[in-house]
Amino acid sequence: MTTVDERARELTPPSTPALRLRGISKRYGPVVAADNVDLDVNRGEIHGLLGENGAGKSTLMKILLGLVQRDSGTIMRGDTPVDVHDPQDAVALGIGMVHQHFSLIDALTVWENVILGDTGRIDRAAACRQVEEVSRRYGLPIDPTARVERLSAGERQRVELIKCLRRDPSVLILDEPTSVLTQAESAELFTVLRHVVRAENRAVILISHKLAEITAATDQVTVLRKGKVVFHSATSETTPPELARQMVGRDVSLRAEGAALGMLPVDGPVPSGEPPAEPPPETPAESAAASSDAAPATTGTAPALRLRDLTVVIDGVTVLSDLSLDVAPGEIVGLYGVEGNGQSTLGDLLSGLILPSSGAVELAGRPVELERPGALHRAGLGIIPEDRHSSGVVLDMSVAENLVMKSIGDVSGRGFVSRRKMHAVARRLAAEFNIVAPSLDAPVRSLSGGNQQRVVLARELSAGPGVLVAAQPTHGLDVGAIEDMYRRLRDAASGGVAVLLISTELEEVMALASRIAVICSGRITGVLPAAEATAERLGMLVGGVAA
Amino acid sequence: MTAPSTGAPPGTGRRLLGLLTPRPYGWPTPVATAVGVVVALALSSALITLTGGSPSASVQALFQGSMADWTAWSSTLLYAAPLLLVAVGACVSARSGSFNIGQEGQVLIGALAAAWVGLRLAINGPVLIVIMLLAAALAAGAWAGLSSLMHRLRGVNVVVSTMLMTFVAQQVVAYAVNMPWLLQESRVGNAPVSPQSNPLPPSGLLGSFGEYPGLQINGGLILAVAAAVVIAVAITRTPWGFRLTMLGRNPLAAKHAGVRVNALGGAALAISGALAGLAGAVLLASPVGVNRLQPGMAMNIGWDGLLVALVARNRPLAAMPVALLFGVLRSGGGFLAATGVPSFLVDVVKALLVLAFVAPPVVVALARRRRSGGRTAGARQEAAPVAEEAIA
Repeated sequence: MTTVDERARELTPPSTPALRLRGISKRYGPVVAADNVDLDVNRGEIHGLLGENGAGKSTLMKILLGLVQRDSGTIMRGDTPVDVHDPQDAVALGIGMVHQHFSLIDALTVWENVILGDTGRIDRAAACRQVEEVSRRYGLPIDPTARVERLSAGERQRVELIKCLRRDPSVLILDEPTSVLTQAESAELFTVLRHVVRAENRAVILISHKLAEITAATDQVTVLRKGKVVFHSATSETTPPELARQMVGRDVSLRAEGAALGMLPVDGPVPSGEPPAEPPPETPAESAAASSDAAPATTGTAPALRLRDLTVVIDGVTVLSDLSLDVAPGEIVGLYGVEGNGQSTLGDLLSGLILPSSGAVELAGRPVELERPGALHRAGLGIIPEDRHSSGVVLDMSVAENLVMKSIGDVSGRGFVSRRKMHAVARRLAAEFNIVAPSLDAPVRSLSGGNQQRVVLARELSAGPGVLVAAQPTHGLDVGAIEDMYRRLRDAASGGVAVLLISTELEEVMALASRIAVICSGRITGVLPAAEATAERLGMLVGGVAA
Repeated sequence: MTAPSTGAPPGTGRRLLGLLTPRPYGWPTPVATAVGVVVALALSSALITLTGGSPSASVQALFQGSMADWTAWSSTLLYAAPLLLVAVGACVSARSGSFNIGQEGQVLIGALAAAWVGLRLAINGPVLIVIMLLAAALAAGAWAGLSSLMHRLRGVNVVVSTMLMTFVAQQVVAYAVNMPWLLQESRVGNAPVSPQSNPLPPSGLLGSFGEYPGLQINGGLILAVAAAVVIAVAITRTPWGFRLTMLGRNPLAAKHAGVRVNALGGAALAISGALAGLAGAVLLASPVGVNRLQPGMAMNIGWDGLLVALVARNRPLAAMPVALLFGVLRSGGGFLAATGVPSFLVDVVKALLVLAFVAPPVVVALARRRRSGGRTAGARQEAAPVAEEAIA
């Protein structure tokens, strides 16, 4: 890593700005996505852009690409102000971007994907030649006639890079480029990027939340938080802890507030004296250390929920990797991390929608037969799924039907569903959970988001679960509904339910959880008691560096 | 109103078939439907006039052929029975979200199985017809089940495979009635043999209540009405129907709630095929045809039955009057030719009527969306059903 930094230092002095942003602002209603952002991107440099979800990284790049119009501010190329009204303008200015989610057509071949969008006659031979030429120049080996659907994630990214590079961009933007790559593939990618800036004097903007990546690969780094530039430095002059602090940068008072609200259980099996795991970064020992952290095995009682070495591989990409975590009865454990690090896969798994490639889920000490439909529910796991519309509720069925969805057998007798019983259950739950609906027969579609979420919560808690998994439970809810949700999660925990809170909101995790597990790239990078969770340590863990 | 939903609604692929998914929550559409029917009738009259006919004479002929006397009514009911069976089956599969549109072929397979069993066994007594009906249901159910299997094993789209299997079924039946060792009729002297089976023995026919010239009610109609009632109760009142509906409206949520998604979807497809197969057996064994297996005997009953379900919005009980209406158009359509109006105009009228029943919900939803306007969450919530219906 240091060698890269040294090389970077050699390169930095003669840099000239390829692109300058001055005072860029963008609001969406009350949300300020970009607030007076200044950014200089120099030729011959890799510029890291660091920030959490919603820090404004994507908005800024969309503005650069002409996908979003800025409210105010200037974009300058060299010293001349330019306008970027649409993506064609951006191409003309020499700005190219590789998006986090690939925009390739699986059924087409590599060369077809590369020339997609060109006008004029299709010349297969010329296109293949060009692909080969670009791929040789940058060391991106790829067969131009291969079908994209057969390519690995790393190869797909090469195709995206070739698509970009053949247009000779002066500024190349990469959005979380390593999120789908293996370590080796990431290393290759950074070699290519080095070449792009050194040999060809282009500028690269690297968007990432991984600290190791930023420190290893970039020359300059800018940290965004809540739409503002909060920090800027030459990478060689800063440290990962500093960057972590700047990225997360929360008031420490939040934790105090959490404690004051009394959510930290007094008698829970919190491993208080737990030493923070400190293996060297990027070693396999890391996850092992994390899992031993997670297991309060010394207490003797079986945890209500135990995730054991869960690995999920989707399309050749390891989304969850040996993930282990325990949640004890009455405890709220927060699983915190930047979006897209495997949380939704874990949610799907705990919803019974996908099966792990290996590993086990144990409830109250017993392994669950995950391949049996509804096994998790029967074993006492309730879940508030991340996207309630996709698996939490059936929008076109009634409130009552949604409330009894998982226990239809209980409201049936002699082969028929008893409407009377169903309504009795629904009335009771609606009253208990303050569900405001025009009627119990109204479709859930007609309810507000908060009330839809209450329907899910009421149904899941009504089964008397031993474990409640809440994935982004307050996503999209208004303040009142959020408070209500927090209260109910706390009540559930104090009633002895083990609560696993999966969230990307640090405030939420800090406000509710007594232990915080951090997930990065599908692995638990560390587990901290809330009392020891400083912004810096969390930031390091979120960035994939053990704190 | 609600949180902005992320991206497409759940199960987008399946929900392209949204129109065929029941949506019982108060469409303010009766008025629009009435207007639609009036418009359809006006257009039909205009077409008849344009082709040189007289609308009043046409209506007269339709009436003569379908409702004027007991004979006409009997013929109408003979058509209505298989239409209703097919439609009830279509309700089941559409509710589950696996859209079976291969009823035309399943009807043929059902008839083939019934004919084979009936002619091979040729036993006396009412047990033969029962065995024939069972054979038809089993064979066509398995035939439709193949599509479910293809979906499960290789991910073949159910809509496409059920439809394409229709053409396979047509070939299978054509083959059977051309092979002397299979089902081709026996040679009598030197008379040429046609591609059809021998006539069924009397014990293999469905009996009727009432006699010509009075009202005849064939056993097939009783079977169809019974099937409609049983299926209606099953899908609206039983836990099985509850799971089926859940599966159709949100397969992910259904899976999450512990529904055996593959098994239930496959069963729904097989049941819809079995009911279409029963329709085939009824066509074979009731006096609507010649009681022989013939390649053309499905007579588009499979496709029309699908339209019946479409108009009835997948409610089996509502399918009863709709099947009757389609029976009227079929039996009256034959009479229409006599008035000089091309009989294919009946198909046009049928299509216009289907549109009259199917279009109003879309129009109402579109109007509602326009009224609400803006890019509010409400509009987005509304947008999903509209998009579905526009595609369907």
